[in-house]
Amino acid sequence: MSAALNMTRSLRGAVRPSVMISVAAVLAAAMVGVALIFAMGVPVVDAVGAFVDGTIGTPYAIAASINRSIAFALVGIGFVVANRANLVNVGGEGQIAVGGIAATAVALYGHVAGLPAGLPFLIPLIAATIAGMLWGSIAGVLKIKAGTNEVISTLLLSFIAVWLVYWCVQSPQLLRKPMTSSATLPESLEIPDSTQLPLLTGDYSFPVHIGLPVTLVIAIIAAIVLSKTVFGLQLRAVGFNPIAASRAGISYSRMVLISLAAAGGLGGLAGGFMLLGEQYVLKDGFSSGYGFDGLVAGLLARGSVVGVIAAALLFGFLRSGGINMEMVAGVPTALVMVIQGLIVVTLAGASFFMGRRA
Amino acid sequence: MRDPSRTLSEPLLALQGVTKRFGALIALSDASIDIMPGEVHCILGENGAGKSTLCNLIFGVHVPDEGTMRFHGESYRPMGPSDALRSGIAMVHQHFSLVHDMTVVENVILGQQNGFVNTRAWAQRLDRLADDYGFALDPYAKIEDLSVGERQRVEIVKCLIREPRLFLLDEPTAVLLPDEIAALLDVCRRVAQSGCAVVLVTHKLAEIKKAADRVTVLRGGRVVARSDHPAEEIDALVRAMIQGDVKSLDKTAASALGVVETGGDHAGRTTPAQTPPKEAVQIDGLSVIDVQGVTRLDNFTLSIGPGEIVGVAGVEGNGQSELAAVLSGMGAPSRGRVFLRDLETTHLSPKEITAAGIGVVPEDRHTVGCVVEMSVAENMFLNRLEAFTSFGFLRRRELLQAARELMTRFDVRAVSAEVAFSALSGGNQQKAVLAREITLPKLLFLLAAQPTRGLDVGAVAAVYGHIRSACQSGAAVLLISSELDELIAVADRVVVLYRGRIMGTCAADPSERERIGGMMAGQAQ
Repeated sequence: MSAALNMTRSLRGAVRPSVMISVAAVLAAAMVGVALIFAMGVPVVDAVGAFVDGTIGTPYAIAASINRSIAFALVGIGFVVANRANLVNVGGEGQIAVGGIAATAVALYGHVAGLPAGLPFLIPLIAATIAGMLWGSIAGVLKIKAGTNEVISTLLLSFIAVWLVYWCVQSPQLLRKPMTSSATLPESLEIPDSTQLPLLTGDYSFPVHIGLPVTLVIAIIAAIVLSKTVFGLQLRAVGFNPIAASRAGISYSRMVLISLAAAGGLGGLAGGFMLLGEQYVLKDGFSSGYGFDGLVAGLLARGSVVGVIAAALLFGFLRSGGINMEMVAGVPTALVMVIQGLIVVTLAGASFFMGRRA
Repeated sequence: MRDPSRTLSEPLLALQGVTKRFGALIALSDASIDIMPGEVHCILGENGAGKSTLCNLIFGVHVPDEGTMRFHGESYRPMGPSDALRSGIAMVHQHFSLVHDMTVVENVILGQQNGFVNTRAWAQRLDRLADDYGFALDPYAKIEDLSVGERQRVEIVKCLIREPRLFLLDEPTAVLLPDEIAALLDVCRRVAQSGCAVVLVTHKLAEIKKAADRVTVLRGGRVVARSDHPAEEIDALVRAMIQGDVKSLDKTAASALGVVETGGDHAGRTTPAQTPPKEAVQIDGLSVIDVQGVTRLDNFTLSIGPGEIVGVAGVEGNGQSELAAVLSGMGAPSRGRVFLRDLETTHLSPKEITAAGIGVVPEDRHTVGCVVEMSVAENMFLNRLEAFTSFGFLRRRELLQAARELMTRFDVRAVSAEVAFSALSGGNQQKAVLAREITLPKLLFLLAAQPTRGLDVGAVAAVYGHIRSACQSGAAVLLISSELDELIAVADRVVVLYRGRIMGTCAADPSERERIGGMMAGQAQ
């Protein structure tokens, strides 16, 4: 019975109605959002106007949304990769954090600012990626050696990493900028100009950085590796049935370690992009929950890299609009989180009921 | 189609034109079956013939797409097992559902009663039931201390205590010792004598001879034969079941299935090489002690020559799984060593073991043998995907081509090489696993654990054929099986495992059957 059911379920998954359902879920959630705004007594027209302004109102708004989406997409792709091995990486937030720390440290104190041709920002980016990979690998090693559930370990490692950022920006021995007065903020120095990411257009009114093409290339590579290579196949085998895979000579440990390191590395890179491309200064809480948004993007995409990009863009623009809505129309930005949550619940519910009707 | 002699009494359960589809698959087609009160009615058929679907329809797990069922003359449309139970239909499933660290009586009470429980009264009921049906069962024994046969008895008691009017058993004898099978069939007879109808699903003909009043044969979801005198019409029933002649059936398979008595004729068996060259496989004092400190395998020593088939007999759970795990690289022994010719393989990884030329057909096809979610082609080359790789990319077309060739050679029937492995029938899945393992570049040693479990007659014959051909090409074969007939039919000699120890070694000869059976039950020789 269950085999037949599963078949129907996967058949349904393959058909495109799933796209329609996603769109419907987004629209339904948006309508609930509008209703909530109305209930709060804020003129809906003002709020929606502010929302639209914040998302696509100006070139700057569009660019900010895209930059945000880049971080979501990288974390989401990492989630999809690890998920092929049936691993759930919820540690994007921590991986972003360690990536940010590493990027800042190397950019500020790595003597890279004077290097030629791109190296000043490439080296910090690589450092960020490696830091994220190491952070992800910790969860991998724990899983292999002690059987620790990666959901627990990556989540807890995130808390550690977030507090590491706090420690770094609070300690003058670490990354806090030199204390000139008691009013010196707990944050790092601004990274040198040469280590800041070049903008695609070179125009500060549309500040999309080179993270966009890099992320698209990474997405393409990830999609190809997952679908066309033996590695992708082995990852799937391990994800479906680790015992049979290991009997067939596929090393479970290797697959777990590689996939969690890859997911972590992408998170670290996202942190590097955020620091070198937008924020330029390391501050407490700089990762602002992007790791969790990226995780949701990965979840919603149901294993599809293209789906991750779409979800990342959606959330990136939602967030930008929400921020503007709060500033201009006084609607709390938490409303956007409500809408985001509604989308997730609606989609999950829809797929559940589709499965049941089979 | 209806048998006129039976219209005298009213059937207890009447299926009329019942059809069940799963997507494009017609699992059961226009089946009409009458079950009479007080009879043991065997449902015979190969895997995929629709036996389980039939059970699930009667037990309310599935709802028929077409046709009607009448129970006790009233329309019967169960929407779930609870409806079936309420109507007086009980079922013993192939897999047990018992809580291991509870007692027998507690397991029986589970799901029967809410609120306060008088355990003593239930225990007395159990004792009375055991008396009625002539078997021993301690109501206060813990499930984990019971043998497989005793556990099944608990499942049966769980059903009988409801005093069902119809009692379904789905392949109940697969895990039992010969003695236990006889006892089970005896219980079935007694239950039937009490007026209850017993439906026994099986593919073993010996059981039909012993227990069945009537037989219905299913093939491809259709009722293809019925018999009111099954013991005399066994040949015709087999022919109906496999759509062929018994005579054309592989002799070994036939005797292993109990179609013909195992005689002295061993034509199908290979003779071992005349002058045995040096041992292909040498297993030396292998012991496995589990985390609880229990010795699962105790000083297992055995050598197998090239072209020799050694059988490992024993009731399941007597160390076979541990032995197979160590030999296939899935577990490390606590002591002892394994050699393949001059190469020590004791601590090699599964990958290295495969590379050394050891093919493994694991006991548990679904958890160890294959990844059911992946395609047939991917599964058939799962252990050597590297052969179809350039620069990390999979040459999918070549993989499919190779898989198709292997599928033809080993008669693996599937819609295509790209369908999910789970879409294959059990027999085809096993043939695919066997194909993968036997076609290793240099096969020196084939380890086959319970290779024919759950397979139909045709597939069993094919599996034996492939094992024999591996042995003819010089590979040493270790065949682990809980089916004594299978070992006697296929192996050259048999070692018997009991509680992890080798109780003794015998020639695989029918005359040794009783000795082997005794050793399986732990009698020292």
